[in-house]
Amino acid sequence: MSDPTNDPVICPVCGKKAKTGSAIDCARHMFGTGDKPHREWVNAQGLSFIDLLIDQATTPGNASYQILADVIEKTRPKK
Amino acid sequence: MNKYTVINPHSKFTVLNTHVHNIDGVAKVTGRAEYTFDIKLPGMLYGKILRSPHPHAKILNIDYSRAMEIPGVYGVVTGKDTLGIKQGIWRRYKDLCDEQILPVDKVRYIGEPVAAVAAITEEIAEKALDYIDVEYEVLQGVYEPLDAIKKDAPEIHEGFERNINVTRHIEWGEVEEAFDEAEYVREDWFKCGGQAHMCMETRAAVSSYTPEKKMTIYSSNQSAYYMQALMAGVLGMREGDVRVIAQYVGGGFGGKFELDGAIFCSAILSMKLFRPVKIIYTREEDFIATKRRTPMFYYVRTGVKKDGTFCAREAKVFTNGGAYTGMGATALYLTGFFHSFPYRWKGYRYDGYRVYTNTLPSTSMRGFGAPQAMWCSEQQIEWIAADLGLDPIEMRRKNSHYEGYEVPGQATIASCGIDQCYDEIKKWIASKGKLPANRSIGLSACGFMSGGIFNWFDTPYSFSSAVVTINQDGTVELHIGAQEIGQGSNTTMAIICAEALGVKVGDIKVHSGDTDHCPADLGAWGSRQTLMTGNATKMAAESAKKQLLEFAYAQSGLNIVYDLDIKDGWVHAIARPERGEEFVQLVRKALRGKDGQRIVGRGYYTPHRKGMISPAYSYMLQGVEVEVDEETGKITLVDSMTAHDCGQPINHLGLIGQLEGAFSMAAGYGYLEYMPYEDGKLMNPNLVDYKMIRSTEMPPANIAEIDTYEPEGPYGAKEAGEGLTNPTAAAIGNALFHRFGIQMKECPVRPEMILNALKEKKEKEAQGK
Ligand SMILES: [Zn+2]
Repeated sequence: MSDPTNDPVICPVCGKKAKTGSAIDCARHMFGTGDKPHREWVNAQGLSFIDLLIDQATTPGNASYQILADVIEKTRPKK
Repeated sequence: MNKYTVINPHSKFTVLNTHVHNIDGVAKVTGRAEYTFDIKLPGMLYGKILRSPHPHAKILNIDYSRAMEIPGVYGVVTGKDTLGIKQGIWRRYKDLCDEQILPVDKVRYIGEPVAAVAAITEEIAEKALDYIDVEYEVLQGVYEPLDAIKKDAPEIHEGFERNINVTRHIEWGEVEEAFDEAEYVREDWFKCGGQAHMCMETRAAVSSYTPEKKMTIYSSNQSAYYMQALMAGVLGMREGDVRVIAQYVGGGFGGKFELDGAIFCSAILSMKLFRPVKIIYTREEDFIATKRRTPMFYYVRTGVKKDGTFCAREAKVFTNGGAYTGMGATALYLTGFFHSFPYRWKGYRYDGYRVYTNTLPSTSMRGFGAPQAMWCSEQQIEWIAADLGLDPIEMRRKNSHYEGYEVPGQATIASCGIDQCYDEIKKWIASKGKLPANRSIGLSACGFMSGGIFNWFDTPYSFSSAVVTINQDGTVELHIGAQEIGQGSNTTMAIICAEALGVKVGDIKVHSGDTDHCPADLGAWGSRQTLMTGNATKMAAESAKKQLLEFAYAQSGLNIVYDLDIKDGWVHAIARPERGEEFVQLVRKALRGKDGQRIVGRGYYTPHRKGMISPAYSYMLQGVEVEVDEETGKITLVDSMTAHDCGQPINHLGLIGQLEGAFSMAAGYGYLEYMPYEDGKLMNPNLVDYKMIRSTEMPPANIAEIDTYEPEGPYGAKEAGEGLTNPTAAAIGNALFHRFGIQMKECPVRPEMILNALKEKKEKEAQGK
């Protein structure tokens, strides 16, 4: 995983740096914003935004945020 | 008989925290205080609202031609007479502005306004409602959040998948690692009910629109400035062309700072007819068509060490948002934040989901999400202490906040008296000795905020403002935007102004609740006025004082800031108090010296960089002594004790009144006030079937006031009177746990629930479990 202090993850949709700049914070930001462009980006990765959200809501732990964080990490532009 | 003690009284003031009666008390008890109900304007008509009988339906057609034939009927308005603007109080987030008060296309709850009539009398207007023909296409409804998120649930608002309205996430620390450290983990599900605000004054408005295109609205509300801005928005007018007057208000409790049908419909009728229109809600309308406390489903997982050290907590919350967003989105956030209170967690995670349903919208109410949070948190903590064989008070104490503690990334705790609260409650419990067999004591801790720092209303004005003007006779005009809703804020501001200026409370005339004459202020919500308007008032008074002292300085040669002061109307040298002059003499000199210009001081306050939530937090611990009738399940509250840290009290009498009032409302929430719905219909919308706590059911409300000093507050003051709505329900639940070992997971606790729990326990015991 990248070091968020040196190499912050930027939201692939709106370009914002979420809180600490880690991928998981970026995932939290995407769920929190939840507007059409953010939802569409998540769905375009082969995930279902709403299913991930409901899973996060109904099961303990942070699995959905982690799944999205992993995808965000993978799709980051290579330097 | 209530007992009131003060722990750690510190510095003496001339006016502050002395025995000051409410400045509007005489007007109120002699019946001269004019409420919206009392307003009579020339040519005034009376309005009534036709409401949806369906929880979810399309409006196909509205025909009101038959109603117009009734003698005395002047006009009818429907959604087509409006601009169709979707409004909401979260103006910064357009998605959350989702409510048309007279909807154009469909209705989403039983009781939603559909049309409004104005007639020469209220009776004729009411009769006319029967002659309005509305054609509906009834749609499937959904009433519980856990049903509304299912895949096949009906869509309540277009574009909100699975009816999820708002989500909020709060997290700090490494939650999973902190859970790994825990030696004991407990999970529970809880259900928290709604609650009606039950203001003695129901929703009420008189609107008067004139050919000059000016609108004047008298209304019962918690923020004249909000009403002005919101009404201007939905009517397509400039804010300055809308005047809102709310001089006397008979209660708010969080329910009166959104637009309601009374204000909106009276204004639209008045615009159509160019006559003033008055709408006063009946008690039943207030129940079925104004927003309520947010019902919530709570999942709580807590991990602790065997010695009782708290490690991690996770909460997942579904709130029953009802048909529209309103202020409920804030309750969603605050419940998540206060669920961590007043404890230190290495890792904390909250996922909140507000879900649309076809029920009455839910909104803010005294405690703003915290009573639900504490109902779940404080009972689970008690059960964990019992599971581990630990003293619940000492377990709470060792994990509590302290002065200087920072809730990671969320809040800085600048003052905290919770430790002394634990001592006081322990003393009270010890004083009770051995209790009778049918009685037990339960306790609960909590903390609360002193106003929110968030500008979700998206206003360019400061959060609070005040103007102090000194007259030539030494009397003082204090103009504030704060709203007096019966909580005593005008008295509090008069005390702060008098203390800062060095005069008597009787010298201060407070002007509030009129947008034409008062500066903008966000109003009465979230326990913000003492701290926020208090700071603005103190600043305005100090500015005026400084201007005055400049004249005293000119003649005495003393230093204004260090050597001169005003106390009790006497302007003097601090070192030689006898050397001085009367306040009024100095005022006259100042007027002459300024070419007759009055002394005017201005003050404002907006919290900047004060954390995520609030600039300051109050703390409290409450114990209740509960008696239970095992035959009937009936609960009686026998006694209570609250230890409360409110910083520096401003008004001793007001403080007691606020704490007693909060306790009575909280007790009602804990075991009486139940809102049962069937297919979206409230089953008890009247004061006979909806059980509020009455004077005969109120136990003594003993108070130990723990004085701390809050650096952000005026003279060190912070919240008092809202936060105490939070602990009581859990304290009642904990008393039942100690008496019977039963764990109450649904609030309010009703007699049948106690009987069922006892039966279940006996059956388990018989089976040897
Ligand atoms: Zn983004």
